[in-house]
Amino acid sequence: MIIYILKRILSLIPVLFVVSIAIFFIIHLTPGDPAATILGIEATQEQIAELNEQMGLNLPLYQQYIQWVSGVLQGDFGQSYFMKESVTEAIWSHLGPTASLAILAEIVALVIAIPIGIFAAYRRGTMVDQSLMGVSLIGMAVPSFLLALLLMLFVGVYLQWLPVAGYKPLSKGLWEHFQYLILPAISLGAIQAALVARMTRASMLEVLDANFIKTARSKGVYEYKVVLKHALRNAFLPILTVIGQSFGTLVTGAVVVETIFNIPGLGQLIINSIVRRDFAVIQGVVLFVSLIYVTINLVIDLLYGIVDPRVRLERK
Amino acid sequence: MKSKKISLVLALFVVVIALMGCGNKADKNSKSEGPGDAGNTEYKSEINVAVTAQPPTLDPSMTVSQVALNIAGNVFETLYTLNANYEPVPMLAESVEVSEDGKIYTFKLREGVKFHNGEEMTAEDVVASMNRWVTTSSRAKSLLTNAEFTVQDPTTVVLTLEKATSDVLIILATKAQFPAIMPADIVAAASAEGVNEYIGTGPFQFEEWKQDQYIHLVKNEEYQAVEAEASGLSGKKEAFVEDVYYHFVTDHSTRIAGIQTGQYDIAESIPLESYEQLNSSNDVKVHSYDGGALTAFYNTNEGLLSNVKIREAITTGLKMDEILLASFADADLFSLNPGYMNPNQTQWATNAGEGIYNAGDVEKAKQLLQDAGYNGEEVTLLTTKDYGEMYTATIVIQEQLRQMGVNVKVENFDFPTFLERKNDFAKWDIFVASTGYQLTPPQLLAVTPDWAGTKDPKITELLTAIRSAESPEVAQAKWDELQGYLYEYLPSSVIGHYKSLIASTNELEGFTVFEAPIIWNTKVIK
Repeated sequence: MIIYILKRILSLIPVLFVVSIAIFFIIHLTPGDPAATILGIEATQEQIAELNEQMGLNLPLYQQYIQWVSGVLQGDFGQSYFMKESVTEAIWSHLGPTASLAILAEIVALVIAIPIGIFAAYRRGTMVDQSLMGVSLIGMAVPSFLLALLLMLFVGVYLQWLPVAGYKPLSKGLWEHFQYLILPAISLGAIQAALVARMTRASMLEVLDANFIKTARSKGVYEYKVVLKHALRNAFLPILTVIGQSFGTLVTGAVVVETIFNIPGLGQLIINSIVRRDFAVIQGVVLFVSLIYVTINLVIDLLYGIVDPRVRLERK
Repeated sequence: MKSKKISLVLALFVVVIALMGCGNKADKNSKSEGPGDAGNTEYKSEINVAVTAQPPTLDPSMTVSQVALNIAGNVFETLYTLNANYEPVPMLAESVEVSEDGKIYTFKLREGVKFHNGEEMTAEDVVASMNRWVTTSSRAKSLLTNAEFTVQDPTTVVLTLEKATSDVLIILATKAQFPAIMPADIVAAASAEGVNEYIGTGPFQFEEWKQDQYIHLVKNEEYQAVEAEASGLSGKKEAFVEDVYYHFVTDHSTRIAGIQTGQYDIAESIPLESYEQLNSSNDVKVHSYDGGALTAFYNTNEGLLSNVKIREAITTGLKMDEILLASFADADLFSLNPGYMNPNQTQWATNAGEGIYNAGDVEKAKQLLQDAGYNGEEVTLLTTKDYGEMYTATIVIQEQLRQMGVNVKVENFDFPTFLERKNDFAKWDIFVASTGYQLTPPQLLAVTPDWAGTKDPKITELLTAIRSAESPEVAQAKWDELQGYLYEYLPSSVIGHYKSLIASTNELEGFTVFEAPIIWNTKVIK
């Protein structure tokens, strides 16, 4: 098992290496440079050239890449051109809001989706099943920005129940923190809820037909135990995959929702950094997010082994 | 079993609705925070402003970013500033004496003015700040070449100029890259990227900058106001709130929603299409103010438009009224005027160029194109969707050029790419830009060679004549002549003038807008 984990971790290195090359060259070959953006529309070409030199952006690309990568290997992601802080500081300060938002959105998604999925599978083919799946189809089809704007207008502006935008850290109090995140979490979680609900239903359907369920029932096991213990546990593997992937998507895909609700998370950081052509920050965030993504996938793979011991045996 | 499932789902909805209910209470609580002033009306102790983006710095001499300058204007003050009529009036200076040859300006400083660090402002500080500005601000470098400030005594500062010019005080009072007065040791410690500490003399002092969230200013308890009546950026300033928050809110629908719910007291850069909607709301006020000029810039250096006859033909065919209506939607929000300068700044208002401006004569344009030997060459319009009005205007121009028989294509990029391509003359023929007003003709981007490539000896000559004019009337006449010439040489063509919008809640008292929302002298009713 330990060797398996080590192998999996080692296999991440080439992935991250390729990501680092891709992101570095894509960004640097994109037109528009940080100096011109920082100096604004009225800057002269001479001033732009001067600032580029100060920031080390006139060196050949491969030299800049080597400089960056050797820094990253020593834990130094570089300095933001625009913000007066290092890239590491910028990522840390923007990570909290995104993590809070993603966790809350995942909770929203799971709390809605799993009961609905189980229930729909259990009542397969009935009106209830069809209407729940119909609603989930809408959930998948409505883009999160539209839901975000609708929620903002209805709950924020019309009912004035929750603030329309902004963010307060957890240190300001639990409610202060959560009231800013509820609407974004719903907008972000809805689409995931729909996905997870459909996956749960499909997975449960397969298991509910299996012989061991019939056996359990014939042995007189309580119905709720049959569904929640016997069926759900066996149906959980594919659901876990979807949950894992959806969490990755929540972390990386919060860009639009963070912009609309003005939450200073990683999504907003990357959008702002692209607009400012703040190369060091873009590179740092993309690399960091890739790391999160591959780590989540790794954790899911390892969890497989815990949920279903057969997986573990096969890979030994 | 079934009923258990149903009750689980129901319980979930109850939880969600209960959570929303809590929001209601919390919102009401938050409205009652902060101590108010005594009297019948209670006032809030903070003001929240939503701005469009995070500025790159708050060091005024380093940036032309409007957001940065608007915020920094609360923290820093200048020797001279502008009143509501765009005239330079003293702020940190008490008075000025100008030598007969116009080359030496002696400024008497106000006494007892304290910086936010508690130290009193001296001539040393002023000289250090002003000399830094003269060398770092690109504007000061080109308009006040080799100017130098020296200390005469602790309350007197002398400015020595290479050449006498008529616009010194107004340049000192200009908002873009303004010469902020700060302590000498902070100036000395400044790096190429700007100062490390924001310490000025203004009614508010810098407290905190939360990256990508907000800038927090607090009241300067020891502020020394001048006695004169408040006007524009000048006169008596009083801080009525303890805290000012400038929130960075990039999404405009969020800024609008925030002003409707009272989460923000003021929201800048309201998109013009929301004008009607907000104007009809009872809780929100919309303030319109002079925004700037929308101008089409032609490539005089390379390609088809380096031929003045082609530029003339194109300008003859353009219908500026159509472009403006499409770009600004509401007739209240734009005006037709050939002037490059702010038409409300009476000194520089002129109609020179009226004949060709907004002629909209497509047939004549076709004829002129034919006479100029136009042979179906492609004309590239460069634009960016990041500025809605610039993009819309470009699309309308594209259609109008098509009607004149010009083979035209539009290239649209994000703003940083747009900037890069604008600086490469091989890549564009025309671009439209909305730019804020300048206070004097030599500051116009349209005559700055480094900007859109306008190089012409007659323009330079007339600019020199304006600056060295012995009286305002002579300067005015020379500007009239220059604007007339700009409509002959056509390095660019003004499309029209637009208003900008700021929204505020109805709870503000004493609030004014002069180029930007003015936070001092503003009270917020609880």
